[in-house]
Amino acid sequence: MIDQALVVFDGVVKRFGGFVAVEKLNLDIRQGEFLAIMGSSGCGKTTTLRMLAGLEAPTEGEIRLRGKRINDLPTWQRDTPMVWQSLALFPFLTVRENIEFSLRMRGVERSERRKRVDKWLERMQIGEFAERNVAHLSGGQRQRVALARSLVTEPQILLLDEPLSALDAHLKIRMQTVLSNLQRELGITFVYVTHSQSEAFSMADRVVIMSRGRIEQIGNPQDIYRAPRTRFVAEFLGSSNIFAGKVSNVSEAIVRISTPAGEFEVASNATRHLSKGDKATFVVSGDRVLLSNQPPADGLNRLQASVVGEEFVGATAVIHLEGAEHIEIKAQKSHDELERLNLEPGAKVWVSWRPDASHVLPGE
Amino acid sequence: MRKSITFYGLTLSLPMLVWQVLFFLAPLIFLVALSFWTVQNFRMVPDLNPDNWTRMLGRGVFWQAYFRTFLLSTSAAIVISVLAFPCAYAVAFKLSETARRWAIFLMVIPFFTSYLVRVYSWQIFLSDNGIINALLAKVGLGPFGMLNSVFGVMVGYATLSLPLVVLLQLFSLIFVDRTLIEAAHNLRCGRLRTVFEVVIPAAKVGLVIAALFCFILTFGDFVSPLYLGGGDPPTLSILITDTTKSGQQWPRAAVIALTMIATLLAVAFATVSFAYRERGR
Repeated sequence: MIDQALVVFDGVVKRFGGFVAVEKLNLDIRQGEFLAIMGSSGCGKTTTLRMLAGLEAPTEGEIRLRGKRINDLPTWQRDTPMVWQSLALFPFLTVRENIEFSLRMRGVERSERRKRVDKWLERMQIGEFAERNVAHLSGGQRQRVALARSLVTEPQILLLDEPLSALDAHLKIRMQTVLSNLQRELGITFVYVTHSQSEAFSMADRVVIMSRGRIEQIGNPQDIYRAPRTRFVAEFLGSSNIFAGKVSNVSEAIVRISTPAGEFEVASNATRHLSKGDKATFVVSGDRVLLSNQPPADGLNRLQASVVGEEFVGATAVIHLEGAEHIEIKAQKSHDELERLNLEPGAKVWVSWRPDASHVLPGE
Repeated sequence: MRKSITFYGLTLSLPMLVWQVLFFLAPLIFLVALSFWTVQNFRMVPDLNPDNWTRMLGRGVFWQAYFRTFLLSTSAAIVISVLAFPCAYAVAFKLSETARRWAIFLMVIPFFTSYLVRVYSWQIFLSDNGIINALLAKVGLGPFGMLNSVFGVMVGYATLSLPLVVLLQLFSLIFVDRTLIEAAHNLRCGRLRTVFEVVIPAAKVGLVIAALFCFILTFGDFVSPLYLGGGDPPTLSILITDTTKSGQQWPRAAVIALTMIATLLAVAFATVSFAYRERGR
């Protein structure tokens, strides 16, 4: 795997005065992958990207591009074009001149420049706007200009800093498709920074989740979603119910964990090695929680909770409940299913789940 | 949508409107009328005589002064803009927030003293046995004739407009989007080249307006060309005073003044439209 790494962050630290933006970052970025770096604002994701672009210098550690240390290489000598959140198109240049900019900086001659810009104008379907002022384009068109401007030199890597956050929902989805296709067709590495889970999970091959300057988890979207490593990741993904407690009993197939909300069984194949008395935190994702007005069948974990409210999320709804000791529980259900239940606010319902629907956080 | 003029809006803008009519429009109209009057026995007589115009515009001296003034002001606008730019750039991009505030404060200080006083003090520095030549003599150089030369005029013009040009440039540079500069670097544009490829185009409006201000201020200036330039050959403003002194020729002076106003309007209009011209459709 090592020889596949295009970029290596080796123990990289970035401090701004007393503030630690990135703490001991170790990260391999592979040739040709779509990597999303995700986290809330201030988590260090943008700083990481800017260090890769050469816009910030690491305080400690080493960044290697194709095995070569690039810490001190100024950004204009790296081949790491970036797409900014604001796009940073030059307002005093036309669409063509914007795209042509980096070719001109490299001294590519006029006729060759024209040919390569034309190719990208066509590829991004913005040929008809070539001589327009960039200020007179729509958001989606500007996005395409920014992409063409960065890609016209055919780099090995493209850095994107929340480029879709200014677009409306519909356009966002369309641009996601454009980006995914582009990445696949070009076969180059995309490093995509975002705070949006849906953007990261729908496009990326691998997702890095960061918090307070550290990597919380790296993995493909499916794995992270099904098996969050830490409490932070589980909370960040938002749809999970989190129970913290102590192991009270370990048998061959089942681990019993006692929490303030009750004692629950967790299938042991879903756990790290646990022994009696260990602290353990497990999650049950909201779509695996069952609700009923009658007591549930035997063999299920169960607790009683009262309904707090309901939240519509498109085709499904999230029911917020409160169990003993003010434990918050979220259940994601279809509207059909909800109609069969009595879910008046304050109503008591049974919450249950199968032992193998839970996942013990290995990082806690 | 038609903007409707509200009662309050009108009331609030009324003082400005009255001021403009009383002290700009009315004198201007009077000046136009005056330029057609005649002078008989050192007394002005209301008339509708185009003689002043044909005489003034037909004179070599007038055109000489006109082109000299135009050339001096154009050179001043260019030279002073170029001198001001590194300073404005450094203050805008290299200084910390606090240092920048101090720099702006210091640049306001020259305006505390009257321009005339500052020009007089330059005479002490620039004259043949002045401070600068005395210092140069110590190292065996000079004396250089700096007073009563184009150099002297430029020093005076810089005294008049350099602080203002720096401030105007500074305020346009501060508002240049920093991500544009980063983007240029990221697209392989080196530091110095970025200044010309991105910073100057992005701040173009402010830079051009600053140069325009320099042109306007120096075009009508009377002090520097007279006290530092020697007044010979005259600039237009010196020509105006000469004309009024010789035989009470106020109507002919009005012709010069109107030509100057027309020139300034044309230059200002052309410059502003150049500043705001956009690339592409």
